[in-house]
Amino acid sequence: MTTEQTVRSLDDPDLFVETPGTIYDAIPPLPPRTEREAEFYTMRDGEMLINLGPQHPSTHGVLRVVLKIDGERVVDLDPVLGYLHRGVEKICENGDWHHAISNCDPLEYIAAMFSEAMPVMVAEKLLDLGVPRRAEYIRVLAWELNRISSHALFVGWLALDLGGLTPILYGFIERDEIVEMLAALTGQRLLFNYLRIGGVNGDLNHDFLSRLGDWMGNALKRIEDQQKLLNSNEIFVARTRGLGVIDRDLARRTLLSGPVLRATGIPYDVRRAHPYSVYPELEFTIPTREEGDSYARYLLHLDEIKQSIHIIDQVLHRMPDGPVMAKVPRLMRVPPGRAYVSIESPRGQYSAYGMSDGSDQPFRLRIHDPSFFNLQAVGLLMPGNLVADTMAIMASVDPIMGGVDK
Amino acid sequence: MEVNDDRPVIQPSVTSGGQPLEPRHEPPAMAADQPSSPQDGLSTTRDDSLVEPIIVANSTWTPADPTAYNGGQPPQITHLRELELGDKSDNARWGALDIIPTKADYVLDLIRINSLWPLLSGLACCAMEMMSAATSRNDMDRFGMFPFRASPRQADVLIVAGTLTTKMAGPLIRLWEQMPEPKWCVAMGDCTTSGGRYKRSYATVEGIDRIMPVDVYVPGCPPRPEGLIYGMMKLQQLIKERRGHWPERHVGPTVPVGV
Repeated sequence: MTTEQTVRSLDDPDLFVETPGTIYDAIPPLPPRTEREAEFYTMRDGEMLINLGPQHPSTHGVLRVVLKIDGERVVDLDPVLGYLHRGVEKICENGDWHHAISNCDPLEYIAAMFSEAMPVMVAEKLLDLGVPRRAEYIRVLAWELNRISSHALFVGWLALDLGGLTPILYGFIERDEIVEMLAALTGQRLLFNYLRIGGVNGDLNHDFLSRLGDWMGNALKRIEDQQKLLNSNEIFVARTRGLGVIDRDLARRTLLSGPVLRATGIPYDVRRAHPYSVYPELEFTIPTREEGDSYARYLLHLDEIKQSIHIIDQVLHRMPDGPVMAKVPRLMRVPPGRAYVSIESPRGQYSAYGMSDGSDQPFRLRIHDPSFFNLQAVGLLMPGNLVADTMAIMASVDPIMGGVDK
Repeated sequence: MEVNDDRPVIQPSVTSGGQPLEPRHEPPAMAADQPSSPQDGLSTTRDDSLVEPIIVANSTWTPADPTAYNGGQPPQITHLRELELGDKSDNARWGALDIIPTKADYVLDLIRINSLWPLLSGLACCAMEMMSAATSRNDMDRFGMFPFRASPRQADVLIVAGTLTTKMAGPLIRLWEQMPEPKWCVAMGDCTTSGGRYKRSYATVEGIDRIMPVDVYVPGCPPRPEGLIYGMMKLQQLIKERRGHWPERHVGPTVPVGV
């Protein structure tokens, strides 16, 4: 196929609007580059392409998906990632290890306390640095609080993407209370920048503890209220039960982790499987579900909130005295070597593989984000479902594009 | 204050070349410049100003329920100073309707600033705080920034919340172009104002004012929800005073060519 090319001046305002083959076109104008592309963009009878994203309220950020639909059923899909690629790993190599903490913050921006732990724990492992016990307990406290705030938002979003506007308001009440509480501790609401190599930035203060005490008093009651709001809602149950079923083979094949994995019945939790920090000293159970559908994932998140409250309760009772920072030099030269750490974030196994060449800067910091791997499962689950249900599947997996695109 | 009349009078008709300059031509009078006939209703002239507002007494409003607002009785709340000092009847609630300045654009601006519909488009971290500003705790609806529309064709304000990457720049301009005039843009967060913590990244746009006009910048990484609400209230003030970008925007692409 040949198209007439007219020569235009650069001042022509229509030049970039009418140029064929821009990112807005679903069908790429070039001949297909791969077999997969050729297969996807070959249309059979009755099929059409619709473009979803990158600006779409239900894609949880800037994910773009080209859906090939037949009627109302999704036949195939072509995900387009990279709309939030900010080059975090490269920026980490240009600053020193302390800068990497704040640079890793926005990766998982709903639960930033987990992503900022990555350079901290890598450097501590390379330095063979012992963290004071009080600092470890404060870390666990902050992690679990952040997990609750993230899970509270998950519940709201799942209902929001199914068309229910009320639960997100309740979810944001929980989230804002916890986040204000953490702001009293760390000074920031969203990107905390609180963990330090060898401890945490500041000790617990009165403002934080009084807010925490107020919140802990009726936290469980509120969770049960949220359960009443959705568990018995007929429409919610009808639209989530049996939707997006992940079996164990698929979960193992696509490297799923976190609540998505545990909803399939595999009790894998990094806190228990590869213990870190002071989690071996704490009592908690790992809730699992057998069904593996969206409804099971929703119930599992509520169970995990209860376990996190249980952990916070123990941490507050066992909080030891002592310093919150180890004695570390201000200019930190990390000995050369490689280290792998992993923790359990609200979305699964958050891990990092760091290399140091002996300078004060990380040589390489590779971040493994669970959202990216959980998003793979979404791509495998969507075909065969209705277009409206694809959003429910995606919301039940709960990806964060900051971590997917890095 | 007296005017000093001793200044030398500049004669514009004599130049160094000795050629007298032609007097400046006034632009031809347009139809809209002429004073309109009183039968034209709301049409105003350019010289018309707000010096003489038309005062419409608020006598048409009567409460449907005579017992509403305590039946016109003074309120029981006694700790509010303005209630003690001011008019104690329920006219205080409707006092704003007593004076209606009837310049049509001004009324339109009042309507615009009290129903700013933002576009529901979150790019990154700041979107969380934007949603927090719209939900229970910090309720943006109270200030007339009500529904977050998912379609750019129904939105007035584009709140760019989060890091703008080079890959996302094209779709964001596309969103901006799809919004109908009048439209405004609020840059939320450090990443959108200047690049912020990703200024030195290879993949980000260092401030969205490189690619589109911005009316209000809200600094912070991320700004608190109160900060966003304050920025939006500043935008309301800006619209009211007609200091935004849109009066000088012409219809058509507002994005510089070559982006």
